[in-house]
Amino acid sequence: MFMHILKYELKNGLRTKDLIIWLILFPIILGTCFKIAFGSIYEKTEKFSSIPVAIVDDGENAPFRQVVEGIESADEPFLKATFTDKAKAEKMLDDGDVEGIIFTADKLSLTVKEKGLKETMLKAFIEQYSVREKIAVDAISTAPEKAQEIIASLTSDTADSCREIPLSQGNPDPYAQYFYNLIAMVAMFGCITGVHITIQNQADLSPLGARNNCSPVPKSISITACLTGSYIMQTVCMLICVTFLAFVLKIDFGDRLWLVYPSAVLGGIVGVSFGFFVGSIARVSDKAKVAILMSISMVMCFCSGLMMGNMKAVIASTIPWFNNINPAAVISDCFYCLNIYEDYDRFISKLITMAVISAVFVVLGFVTSRRKKYASI
Amino acid sequence: MQVFKAMFKVMRSRLPSAMIYIVCFVVISAIIANASTNDNKFEAKRLDICIFDEDDTPESHALAELIKKNNDIVEIEDDKDTVTDALYYRRIDYALIINKGYADKIRAGESADFFSSYHLDESFSVVYMGQFLDEYVATVKAYLNMGKSFDEAAVSAEEALSQNAEVNMLSRIDKGGNSHFSVDFAGYFQYMPYILISIIISVVSLVLVTMNRKDIRFRTNCSCLKESKYTAQLFIGSFVFVFIIWLVFMIFGAILNREMYTGRAWLAVLNSFIFAMVVGTMAVLVASFEPKDNILNLITQVLGLGMSFFCGIFIPVDVLSDGVLSVARFLPAYWYVKANNMIADITPYSLDEVVECYLIQIGFAAAMVIITLLVRKVKYSGAAISTAVKKKAVSQ
Repeated sequence: MFMHILKYELKNGLRTKDLIIWLILFPIILGTCFKIAFGSIYEKTEKFSSIPVAIVDDGENAPFRQVVEGIESADEPFLKATFTDKAKAEKMLDDGDVEGIIFTADKLSLTVKEKGLKETMLKAFIEQYSVREKIAVDAISTAPEKAQEIIASLTSDTADSCREIPLSQGNPDPYAQYFYNLIAMVAMFGCITGVHITIQNQADLSPLGARNNCSPVPKSISITACLTGSYIMQTVCMLICVTFLAFVLKIDFGDRLWLVYPSAVLGGIVGVSFGFFVGSIARVSDKAKVAILMSISMVMCFCSGLMMGNMKAVIASTIPWFNNINPAAVISDCFYCLNIYEDYDRFISKLITMAVISAVFVVLGFVTSRRKKYASI
Repeated sequence: MQVFKAMFKVMRSRLPSAMIYIVCFVVISAIIANASTNDNKFEAKRLDICIFDEDDTPESHALAELIKKNNDIVEIEDDKDTVTDALYYRRIDYALIINKGYADKIRAGESADFFSSYHLDESFSVVYMGQFLDEYVATVKAYLNMGKSFDEAAVSAEEALSQNAEVNMLSRIDKGGNSHFSVDFAGYFQYMPYILISIIISVVSLVLVTMNRKDIRFRTNCSCLKESKYTAQLFIGSFVFVFIIWLVFMIFGAILNREMYTGRAWLAVLNSFIFAMVVGTMAVLVASFEPKDNILNLITQVLGLGMSFFCGIFIPVDVLSDGVLSVARFLPAYWYVKANNMIADITPYSLDEVVECYLIQIGFAAAMVIITLLVRKVKYSGAAISTAVKKKAVSQ
């Protein structure tokens, strides 16, 4: 009997359009949108690259020109300078071709369009120039005999005072977490599949439920079969989603993609179990159940950072325990751990959390759907 | 006006979901509007930095104080995982460790290994702080070389490093000044297309599909109501709904802006009106394919999210890749955003180009109307109906 119900559950699932739309098409569309939006934002705005700058050299400030040329000849130059006149420079700034204009006439000054970090770095750069000037003046006035040596050491002494401790070999692009959350969203949408189990097995919700209830199959068997069917369908959806993200959109999940798949599948199981549990506690109509589940899972995804990337960090600093029990956050954390952390401690603890959450939901779901008998409807 | 009235009765059932969109949008806009600043003076960007002072000497404190002057210090736990999380989620921009023995080394005039930093990626903040630290060390050492004591050197270095260069903002950019349409207020208009698309398509299309359902349509067709009058009422009904939604947004906009629209802001108002009409025609077109409820939801999401991401509604146009932008040109929202950016002075303003954007949007609306008429003609023409009847006869 188990196999019979499982077979029909799977057939039923394949013919449910909602399932295909929300669990397969919608993530593909949203993923493509995310890729368009966040695909190049990290490279363009946060990852260091030479800052384009226009230099208006009215006063023929030769030493400054030398300094700039010196910087530009480095391997990874800090500036990419264009020497030009004022009108052209302003046009370039306006069009966004350069981040700022440095005027070298008698005193260095800077004109910018925005108030960001790149502009601040340009400001620091021209300040650095005047700092050196001041040091030279001070050196000549206090220790004229050593002045030459001090000034020389200022320009030659380029030793890095700061040693970098690498934290991770993974993909540091923070926008990748939108894709982690997208997978978490698909997993949480599994609750729609989960709630169908209750709708199909509860006599007051659907004609199918009424028919199922008067069949002689024990409820435990029919529900287990439905649950298995839902798990299988959700697994397929999760596999499609991850494959699409990893191979079509080419999202960098770090170097352990083979572990991303099982985590996503486990996430899908959490989602289905969650839907099954909520479906069996609330005695409301099927539409209301779906609406409740959708809003709860959207709120969970919001808290995990689907809409605002730093939401999880905000929650971590205010109510840290919530991130450990919010299923969406746990699922997306899994992918984050795989990407960033070298060791598996935190990843495994997340997997265990997911397993425990789904086990709790399934057990509670079975307990609450027990002994719901109907003499008449 | 029976058809008109019936339309609004159906619309009422969709009102709750439309209200959710409106309320979310207005609340988020209100929060953004409150947080904005209107001045046009350059301020250096303050980084969020956490410092782990392993040296804990007066020398290291002096450095920490100097960093604190231009940046915000964030206290977090000294634990590798916590620091990684904070860096990844951008709670901090830089994690600095002042190594043990810093004071002794700098006094001895050594040249490396003063600091360590937790490093996740080569971002601008990392380069900026690296340069700052190098500069600080070089300056202090220069003053020590002049024969000053460390305390004097630190004071002189701080003095030298706190020079302020003159920074001007590009004069064309006018933040809430003469144009009467500030960059911040432009944000309200920038996000509006997403909400307009979501509400108008989901409501208007649904109503039109419902009115066009077979039994209802057959009943209307055999009434004494003229076909042209029926279509006109449907059209007026859709127009009135679109107009009301648009008006609601304009009223909220004026409230958030704390003053009536003046000057250039009217151009933005006109822009949004044209766009609302474009979306209206789009909704009619979608409805003429008679999609089922769940398909309609999907179409709404595709159009809303798709246009928002492709055309620069959710993220600024300049971070989109060129390939995306060349596709976006074929979508009306691209021209809406382009006009809006010009009106807000984000890109150079020119009235002619703004009008050009208006005309292109109107062109999209006209195209949509023509396609709708074509679709309807093919669908409801005698030939189409007779094939449908034949098919049914064959299948029976």
